[in-house]
Amino acid sequence: MSQNFRLNNIGLINRNKKISFKFNGKKYFGYEGDTLASALIANGVHLIGRSFKYHRPRGFFGAGVDEPYAAVQLNRNNETEPNVKATEQELFEGLEANSVNCWPSVNFDIGAINNLLKMFFPAGFYYKTFMWPKSFWYKIYEPFIRKAAGLGVASTKHDKERYEHKYEYCDLLIAGSGPSGLASAYSAAKNGAKIILAEDKARFGGTLLTDDVNIGNQNGKEWADNIISELKKMPNVIVKNRSQVFGYYDHNMLVMSERISDHLPITQKYIPKQRLWYIRAKEVIISSGSIERPLVFGNNDTPGVMLSSAAKEYLKIYGVLVGKKPLIFTNNDSGYETAIEFKKNGIEPIILDTRKNPNSEIINEAKNLNIKIKFSYVVVVAKGYKKVKSAEIAKISDDKKILSNIENIDCDCICVSGFWTPTIHLASQSGAKTKFNKDIDAFVPDKSKQKETTVGAANGVYTLEETLKTSFDIGYQLSKKITLKDNRVSVPSVVEKKSEVHDKFWCVPLPEGKNYKRFLDFQNDVSVADIELALREGYRSIEHVKRYTTLGMATDQGKTSNLNGLQLVSEVENKIVPEVGHTTFRPPYTPVTIGAIVGREVGKHSKPTRKSPMHQWHEKNNAIFVDAGVWLRPRYYKRGDETLFEASKREAKNVRKNVGVCDVTTLGKIDIKGPDSAEFLNRVYTNAWLKLPVGKARYGVMLREDGIVMDDGTTTRISENHYHMTTTTAQAANVLSHLEYYLQIVWPELDVNVVSTTEQWAGAAIAGPKSRQVLQKLFPKINLSNEGLPFMGYLESDLFGISARIFRISFSGELAYEVNVQSDNGNFMWEKIMEVGKEFNIEAYGTEALSTLRIEMGHVAGSELDGRTIPYDNSLEGMVSKKKDFIGKRSLNREAFVADDRQKVVGVVPLDKKTSIPEGSYLVKDANAKLPNPKLGHVSASCWSVEYDNPFSLAIVKDGKNMIGQKLFALSPLKNKSIPVEIVSSHYVDPKGERVRS
Amino acid sequence: MQKYSVFNLIKNAFNNHEGWEVAWKDPAPKNEYDVIIIGGGGHGLATAYYLAKEHNIRKVAIIEKGWIGGGNVGRNTTIIRSNYMHDENALFSEFGMNLWRSMSQELNFNIMFSPRGIINLAHSDAQMNAYSRRGNSMRLNGIDAVLLDRDQVKKIIPMADFSENVRFPIFGGLMQPSAGTARHDGVAWGYARQADSMGVDIIQNCEVTGFDVVAGKIKGIRTSKGNIKANKVGLCVAGSTSILAEKLNMTLPIETHLLQACVSEPVKPILDHVVTFGAGHFYCSQSDKGEMVMGGDLDGYNSYAQRGNLPTLQHVLTEGIAMMPFLSKLKMLRTWGGIMDMSMDGSPIIDKTHIEGLYLNCGWCYGGFKATPASGWTFAHTIAQDRVHELNAGYSLNRFNTGHLLDEKGLGTKTWIS
Amino acid sequence: MLHIKCPHCGLRSQNEFAYGGDASVKRPELNKEVSDKEWNHFVYLRKSLRGKHLELWHHISGCRQWIKVQRDTATHEIFKTFKASEEI
Repeated sequence: MSQNFRLNNIGLINRNKKISFKFNGKKYFGYEGDTLASALIANGVHLIGRSFKYHRPRGFFGAGVDEPYAAVQLNRNNETEPNVKATEQELFEGLEANSVNCWPSVNFDIGAINNLLKMFFPAGFYYKTFMWPKSFWYKIYEPFIRKAAGLGVASTKHDKERYEHKYEYCDLLIAGSGPSGLASAYSAAKNGAKIILAEDKARFGGTLLTDDVNIGNQNGKEWADNIISELKKMPNVIVKNRSQVFGYYDHNMLVMSERISDHLPITQKYIPKQRLWYIRAKEVIISSGSIERPLVFGNNDTPGVMLSSAAKEYLKIYGVLVGKKPLIFTNNDSGYETAIEFKKNGIEPIILDTRKNPNSEIINEAKNLNIKIKFSYVVVVAKGYKKVKSAEIAKISDDKKILSNIENIDCDCICVSGFWTPTIHLASQSGAKTKFNKDIDAFVPDKSKQKETTVGAANGVYTLEETLKTSFDIGYQLSKKITLKDNRVSVPSVVEKKSEVHDKFWCVPLPEGKNYKRFLDFQNDVSVADIELALREGYRSIEHVKRYTTLGMATDQGKTSNLNGLQLVSEVENKIVPEVGHTTFRPPYTPVTIGAIVGREVGKHSKPTRKSPMHQWHEKNNAIFVDAGVWLRPRYYKRGDETLFEASKREAKNVRKNVGVCDVTTLGKIDIKGPDSAEFLNRVYTNAWLKLPVGKARYGVMLREDGIVMDDGTTTRISENHYHMTTTTAQAANVLSHLEYYLQIVWPELDVNVVSTTEQWAGAAIAGPKSRQVLQKLFPKINLSNEGLPFMGYLESDLFGISARIFRISFSGELAYEVNVQSDNGNFMWEKIMEVGKEFNIEAYGTEALSTLRIEMGHVAGSELDGRTIPYDNSLEGMVSKKKDFIGKRSLNREAFVADDRQKVVGVVPLDKKTSIPEGSYLVKDANAKLPNPKLGHVSASCWSVEYDNPFSLAIVKDGKNMIGQKLFALSPLKNKSIPVEIVSSHYVDPKGERVRS
Repeated sequence: MQKYSVFNLIKNAFNNHEGWEVAWKDPAPKNEYDVIIIGGGGHGLATAYYLAKEHNIRKVAIIEKGWIGGGNVGRNTTIIRSNYMHDENALFSEFGMNLWRSMSQELNFNIMFSPRGIINLAHSDAQMNAYSRRGNSMRLNGIDAVLLDRDQVKKIIPMADFSENVRFPIFGGLMQPSAGTARHDGVAWGYARQADSMGVDIIQNCEVTGFDVVAGKIKGIRTSKGNIKANKVGLCVAGSTSILAEKLNMTLPIETHLLQACVSEPVKPILDHVVTFGAGHFYCSQSDKGEMVMGGDLDGYNSYAQRGNLPTLQHVLTEGIAMMPFLSKLKMLRTWGGIMDMSMDGSPIIDKTHIEGLYLNCGWCYGGFKATPASGWTFAHTIAQDRVHELNAGYSLNRFNTGHLLDEKGLGTKTWIS
Repeated sequence: MLHIKCPHCGLRSQNEFAYGGDASVKRPELNKEVSDKEWNHFVYLRKSLRGKHLELWHHISGCRQWIKVQRDTATHEIFKTFKASEEI
């Protein structure tokens, strides 16, 4: 198909590069520099999609971010992406796009039946119906509505694209490269400020690209081009196109999304699709311009109705005619500028001006060009379904209430201009209040909240001369404040046409007996009647109106509809617009790809992975790993086709029988130094610490101030004023912060320093009756007898030439040691242990065997210390000193904590000695009691006791101390299990703890 | 009151919908009421409705600083569930589930309760065990719960990340099939409309500036629209609780924090259930409009600003993509924040206070929306009878003295850690 | 994102810090008799001020010092930051 609507001699596109693309399966051509929208219009395609609710045909209304809809499904880089705006998507070779929200096709859409039934679907109709019968909402109505809703189709595949983040600091961030942005950027940059100039579009210059103006004897575009090329050469300037500053957050942090590859057919290797910039700016200049407001009339959503500024942009930037018989409908002079451009390019427009007798340079120029102008005229209704074919127009009375002389005129597009709305989103996001400017019938930023200054059209300044003057000045003033330099550039002279004031009129009344839909929100199909209905029903605050009608809640967030909505509410409610107020502007200004927000932290990198120095050994020896926080720990070492159960049983058995070694590097380790260390530990732990001798370790429990157990572990006195604390893997970071808090905030008088040494030490726990023999091989020089290294003793020695710390501590309940060496030597240590241990049948064991060993010994761990239990619950009351104060002690005597029937940890054994009790089961008296069945406690941890070869569990049970010997049921309704059990002591194996001392 | 029905909808269609009456009136405050409810959010509106309906107390005013439904009832992710471990929370929420199930019909307002099921994903055996503990507790309390293995999860939400390239593989999940979502605004408006029809005065744009307390008894409140007398006053203001408590010289076990949420652009149906991520804090569902509704962590520091910062959302969405990689290509459309009354054990407070006639309803943390009907029902009971109902007996203020805490997460008093 | 001036390190982004809550909460002295009320007040009750709030932050990805920050909880404006040792 040929580009029938493309002009030959105008536009900024590259005509040397023809681009082919497909829309809805049909092949078209455009040029490099086109958007998908401009290329389609050049080919005479205006029907882009269907609206959300009524499935009415939708065309192009804007030319960029002002477009309220124009969403397409885009195929690019072998992936599909929903809801891409055709007015923002640049054309590339091979682009394929499809309409969304229509079936079977955009031309023939079954959903359009909604349009015929629209009288039954006013705002909020769904609140009033679909209630009967009761189950039908979820089963019938809702699935139907869901299917009909939604726009594009999300790909279910992993996103192959790459997104990056960048952090940047600057003196001045300038958002928008129109005249105000360029002027302030240039002025500030010349005064030495480090600036970032961001432009959303591909081309810099904003309205200078389309307005017929002169700056310093150059036309607007030439001036913009020159400023940009000069800025690009300056070392203190970053200039970014295709970059939208979408959020203004606290403390002058702004976020910008840069579209790096979206305009290219494929993403190059190592190049991101988009880059997210976190920018901390000392000052911010908001030069985001303004968006033209629609005029509202019957069927004003028909394809072919569009903003006059968009029509001008298609013409001047893309060389595309949006129609050949344009009707311009305006309440201000902007429409004339569009008409003049049509005329200059050989098209005969007709202007309908709502004003009675306006007079200005621009109007005179139009008159001189013999453009047909009708004053006090309005469009009553657009005719045509999928494209404007004609329009009914009428003369309107001076009070704008009565229509007369209604006639039908031929046209193929209607370009509307209802004056301009400043883009105040960023200023408002910053926290600035807004004020209503009556001269422009719109809100502008009031006093700035953070370090932002709004300039040009975004601030309601609509003449170029004033815009440049103030922008040059503000760029200079702000930069001077930061750089303390004083280089001022002169403001160039400006030639622009003067305009007449606009007409406040924005909505055409309905002719007698007609009930045309007049739309405010083109995507969500919100009409004037919908707003009126909401108000009639008492939804009167603007937030209620918005939520009830969904006005401004579509993907454009109401950029062209919100202000007209406010005008309507104020008229019906008989208020002035500022009394109605507006809804809150929140980031993002335009929708931002979620992948870009997330950046590179995806897939395996969504969280860090921590590995011990022995990780490779584990891998080589068929370790199956388990996530322990962000650490990877061997869960078991698989031999042949062993299951988890078999392997862990083998490993645990070997510990009980021979000797095993477990990687305990992940335990938190904290170095504690200083003369008051003992006193500090004495306050942190529940037990006594003042008399721990050098070379001895002690088990300790620490509480939160609310009396709940926070963590446990052993701490060893390395020397007089030096301790080595271990924490659980999970709580390592919290415990360090906790200690620092007490040292720095609560007891600063204590002379103690703490530092994390988790990463500094690799640890191996060697456990089992033969562990002493293994140790002796590792450390032949030292005396490892009970006298030389007693239980809870500590020694330093060298392990084949490297220094090592040896702790005689045990988690497994067996005779056991823990050896620590510097991390770099971890693997060496491990291999030596395996080497010397071979003759004793040493085997590595994982966390699963470790759990088994600790459970059958009745040692509590994370599943019992779950942030809800006190020492008593865990049978740790013996650890709680009565003589001294410590963190959390005062909470322990609260009513619930000292209750006679307080919960306590117990052991649980199935009566049949065969059936494993699933963790998370509950203990009840009566397995068949009616619900809710009173629960006595829950099973916190289960294992297969390798000592007795039957299942064993730990449980925390109400009145646990009196429950030993009771016969109960362990219920797991989730697993359909009801297991008769007996409550036993939690110390199932070696209750006297003789082995660890052997 | 005008009935909402499909017949009335059709009837009114032929009259250009000009026959619809106001959903609620906008009266000026009277001098005196039997009960004043401060806070025109979901809980306040529900309380007034149940006071009128269950206890026949109709001289009731709702005093709202802004516009009704403008706080957290209109700022949440619309999830409704009763998948709690502690009995107090579970039985309370399940009572609420029954109210949800018939709410549309009871209020004659389609609040679109949609029991699409919630799935909490688990990423380790340890987490499967923790979920078993919760799920078994639910089942023993008569609440539906199903433990799903990896393959079962894959069948229900195939677009979750079941690939090799995943940091925390999915092991399975806990599902409450009867949990779901509802239309949040509709809940506020539905209660407002019925409360209004039974005589409750809904007073908007009226700020409470003080309280009249004489000899330990509440006598009335002072507002920007004048003084209003009442011997019973219920405080139901979520994130603003501490501000009003200060006017009563009360310090409470709550802190106000910001929770953000966001939605993507609408897409065709892809996710039928509510899903939560187990290796972090992220939850997601798809609205009827097609938007992915997503939330997660608090911003993490005391805040009364209904605006948040991007790094928190970045963190939340990182977990989102980790759970469902397809989210990456969608665009974040809208973000917002609500201020949460975070209690020191994560569970709410519905109780009498040391001031006679003053009743407290706060501490809802993340869970306020789902609790709306049960909260309103029990609070109405507490106010009307001047004693707590057994359903909210566990939600006493005194539990922080006795140690009978209801800490579902076991995180203690650091409310900013989620 | 907040920009917090660590009194030890200078101006840093919030993501280097962890929040530590109300700095006006004072732990009762060790070994001192305190009433239940006093103790529970310390553990659970918070003023949760709207407006100027003195709070603790922990520079965990920096110098690991706990600092005090005076911040407006409604606007997030930070008025001043202090070392832990400084009295306000």
